[in-house]
Amino acid sequence: MADQLLSISGLSAGTEDKPILHDINLSVGAGETHVLMGPNGAGKSTLGHVIMGDASYQVTSGSIVFDGQDVTAQAADRRSLAGIFLSYQAPVEVPGVPLYSFLRTICQMRPELKTSARKFRERIARISDQLDLDESFLTRELNVGFSGGEKKKIEMLQLLLLRPKLAILDETDSGLDVDALAVVSRGIEAYRADCDGALLVITHNTRILERLSVDHAHVMVKGRLVAEGPASLIDEIDAQGFGRFEGAGEKAEA
Amino acid sequence: MSETTTPELDERGRSKVADVDRSLYDFKKPEEGYERYGDGLTPDIVRAISAKKDEPAWMLEMRLKALEVYHERAMSPNWGPDISGLDLDHISTYVSPQTKQAQSWDEVPEDIKDTFERLGIPAAERESLAGVGAQYDSEIVYHNMREEVAKQGVVYTTIEDALHDPKWEPVVHEYFGTLIPMRDHKFAALHYAVWSGGSFVYVPAGIRLDYPLQSYFRLNASGAGQFEHTLIVVEPGADLHFIEGCSAPKYFEANLHAGAVELFVKDGARLRYSTIENWSKNMYNLNTKRATVGAGSKMEWVSGSFGSHVSYLYPTTILQGARSTCEFTGITFAGATQDLDTGCKVILNGADTTASIDTKSISKDGGINTFRSSVVIGRHAERARASVSCQSLMLDDISRSDTIPAMDVRCGSASVGHEATIGRISDDTVLYLMSRGCSEAEARSMVVNGFASPVSKELPLEYAVEMNNLIKLEMEGAIG
Amino acid sequence: MAAQTLTGVNVPPAQTWNYLRINDISLELPTVVSKGTVPSRLPRLFSQMECGLGKEAVSWIEASAGDARYVEVPRGTTFEEPILVDVASDGGEVHDLGVLLREGASATVVVAARGTGTGAAASSAALVRVIVERGAHLKVVEILSVGDGNQHLEGLGIQADDDSSVEIRQYALGGARRAVGLAVDLAGKGASLRLDSRYLVGGHDLLDINHVVRQRGRNTRCDIVTQGLLEDAAHKTLRETIDLVHGAKGAKGNEVETVLVAGDEVVNKTLPVILCDEDDVAGNHGASIGSVSPEQLAYLAGRGLSEDEATKLFARAILDDAAIHAPEGVSLACALERAEQVLGAEIAHDAADTLGLEPTNSEDEEASA
Repeated sequence: MADQLLSISGLSAGTEDKPILHDINLSVGAGETHVLMGPNGAGKSTLGHVIMGDASYQVTSGSIVFDGQDVTAQAADRRSLAGIFLSYQAPVEVPGVPLYSFLRTICQMRPELKTSARKFRERIARISDQLDLDESFLTRELNVGFSGGEKKKIEMLQLLLLRPKLAILDETDSGLDVDALAVVSRGIEAYRADCDGALLVITHNTRILERLSVDHAHVMVKGRLVAEGPASLIDEIDAQGFGRFEGAGEKAEA
Repeated sequence: MSETTTPELDERGRSKVADVDRSLYDFKKPEEGYERYGDGLTPDIVRAISAKKDEPAWMLEMRLKALEVYHERAMSPNWGPDISGLDLDHISTYVSPQTKQAQSWDEVPEDIKDTFERLGIPAAERESLAGVGAQYDSEIVYHNMREEVAKQGVVYTTIEDALHDPKWEPVVHEYFGTLIPMRDHKFAALHYAVWSGGSFVYVPAGIRLDYPLQSYFRLNASGAGQFEHTLIVVEPGADLHFIEGCSAPKYFEANLHAGAVELFVKDGARLRYSTIENWSKNMYNLNTKRATVGAGSKMEWVSGSFGSHVSYLYPTTILQGARSTCEFTGITFAGATQDLDTGCKVILNGADTTASIDTKSISKDGGINTFRSSVVIGRHAERARASVSCQSLMLDDISRSDTIPAMDVRCGSASVGHEATIGRISDDTVLYLMSRGCSEAEARSMVVNGFASPVSKELPLEYAVEMNNLIKLEMEGAIG
Repeated sequence: MAAQTLTGVNVPPAQTWNYLRINDISLELPTVVSKGTVPSRLPRLFSQMECGLGKEAVSWIEASAGDARYVEVPRGTTFEEPILVDVASDGGEVHDLGVLLREGASATVVVAARGTGTGAAASSAALVRVIVERGAHLKVVEILSVGDGNQHLEGLGIQADDDSSVEIRQYALGGARRAVGLAVDLAGKGASLRLDSRYLVGGHDLLDINHVVRQRGRNTRCDIVTQGLLEDAAHKTLRETIDLVHGAKGAKGNEVETVLVAGDEVVNKTLPVILCDEDDVAGNHGASIGSVSPEQLAYLAGRGLSEDEATKLFARAILDDAAIHAPEGVSLACALERAEQVLGAEIAHDAADTLGLEPTNSEDEEASA
């Protein structure tokens, strides 16, 4: 397993007063596409945030190794610089910060992306074009007053700018209309094509997966990974729902 | 009133929310045979009060000094309600019923006993209180505490009696006037010059009272002032709930209330201080309350202000010790002829201290509400947190509601959140409730009750009932 | 130079405990010396307008400015070129401008108060009063960077008639001691105000702001968003008053302040007041004082920013935002000069370069406007 990009072993985590994840084992190889599915409240988003290093969750046991480094104790900003990216389900509004200032700052601090203002401008123009984003967004405040679809596009814009080795997409498809969904799907495809990065797609809806070639699917129920399989698992869930896994979750709990 | 079937409507066709019914409180007793000092304020009157109380020399000195300060100080000219109707030359600062302090209600003179019976004090004492003090005009007429509480070393008495007890005189001397200095403002100085009555409470370390202590203040005399002083010391690890109630019948002459409450909450202790203030609408309520809180301690204020013509009332908490907390829950109801300037002050000095302030106000019939607060976070209050929430409800367009919260934050790791909203009962809410079968009047009264309920649920039961007397029952009058 | 003390500057309509020292500010200003000439005055209709600073300060500015400048924007016309008040603070310049926007007119007023503060300490001032008639649209951009050591007074008074709209962007970026007054009278029905106020205060600098909005007309709207960053031993006082006057049925007023405190010796005072004399209104105020919120920190950390870097981003954001919204060359240069001092030359010009904001010369600016 030494060549895995992400190796999670025996991971349990939760908030201060509530355990959420139990004994998670999950590996993602470089360039692979994984899907994490499960009913609402299963802990899927929590896993995404724990991999990112969100300080509101505490790891109680187990480890997260990314790109050969144990990152379990690392702060989120270090993990980001190492190449992990989390697309938020509900991106946070940051009033007073023009999108441009934000994007430029997060790129300039990465040696591999540092570039001149002119080249940066060209990159932004190219990606905005791919995502159907009007460049007037650049002078607006980060996520403030954006629609749900616009916020998701801004997440995709950051994904394509930062070129991470692993992108975790947390319910990126939720609440989007058909047009926005198509744009987001294009963004994901572009990421796979341009950056050759690995993907961990968290979703409870299979539509966004139609245009992706999925290597592995995982099912989470009540904070535990209860099934793993090839892409065909998705079709099975699509047809039958999570019913048969929910029993498994209870068994594991007992 | 319950026979009324048609709600009274205002000129905009909305049902009126009725005024507070004061008949429960608005009964007068004759003053015959009482000892009443001359109106106005002179060193002779101050000496006479002190002599009557047979006080230690330091207290007389303090009174005379305070009188000088009172004459030197002016009211702030740039803010606050008008108090020009208050003329100290026509206020008697000392009125005493000629009776000795009793420990049994049977020893209390009949008319005074009747007053407190009507206010429900003896009944509450029997049911749910650890001790009761009752003040009538300038003097305490009744003071009693359950025996088992006294055995634990808890002291609940008048300041006057404590001053005559060699064991407690030094304690009073140590604390009295240290938290609220006489130079604090003009009426603090007046208070120290002519104070009379009030309570001294001492809870020894580690003692937790299961039932509250309660003091009730009744100002029966017209054209008089009440200047009680409450001094409470809660030693480390101790726990006390103290309740004060105040009321007075309505007169045309101005009355004045300038009490002082000094609360010392030591490390690891908790003090809850609940007040229902229901002075009559000829009262100038210029009261000062302040608490200093030690490490890991908790100060809780619950405050309902319904009465008075004019109020200046801002209970102050100084969170001196690390990890100490303050919770302030208050409601103010201003109706016709009332100008109530209320709120609170919190000073966060200790590290990891937290304060949460939650206030409501209701304005109607031309009443004026001003919410005034200050949150000051000191340079060394690392990680201190304060939140202020202030909601004001306007029930008509001739009333007024102002919100004036000041914040001064000097510590980089501290945080303050503040939110204030002012508005009326939303038409949507009323329509929604009416679509579920409520009459408009019912809907409006439901909204007002819901608005006030976060405060009433913090009050002891009998006070919540009293608050209901003040809001809910009267609104039923409008519903019919 | 002879000096006088101006007391009672920036007094809000409703005051509070005087010991908090939040009710006003005093300034030492040069004594006004008569020039012995006959100065031009604004039409009388400007003389009663509030501008937040207070009467004494207004008198001082009027007397010091000597000549006042009056601009009238005719009915239904749009001035493409901003009306510029260019205040050279180092020279202690004092400007007095009155603008009358006739019905349906549209114009932008720019105040750029700039200086280096390298010479002797100077006191500059700008007073701008604008009457916005029915259906007219006014935009004001103020960029204040008067230089270390300099003092500045800024007064802005606006009267907005029926269905007019006012948009203000205020950037307080630098200067030793600044008093900024603003009073908007939403006098007409349906008049609206959007005020974005940003400040960046560091060193031992003092910034004193007094925003007063009177909502007198029916269905008036007021939205105030204030954001700032305080560093070192910065001293800031912000007073914000929304006055919902009797008769302003349907009026809505909102104010929000977000302050980041990043210095150990900062003094940060806020007095957010809502006065309400009417029931059919909605008034809201929110304030958040302290460091970057945990949610924002988590989001920014996920994109690689530590808490320190996040705070720096907020400083940069204020300066970038000023450059982005500077409508012409002088104010842009003023914002960029300050950005250079705070962020260094490379980052300062980055946004301007990338977004194509760099001022080339003023003619190009006008051509593009």
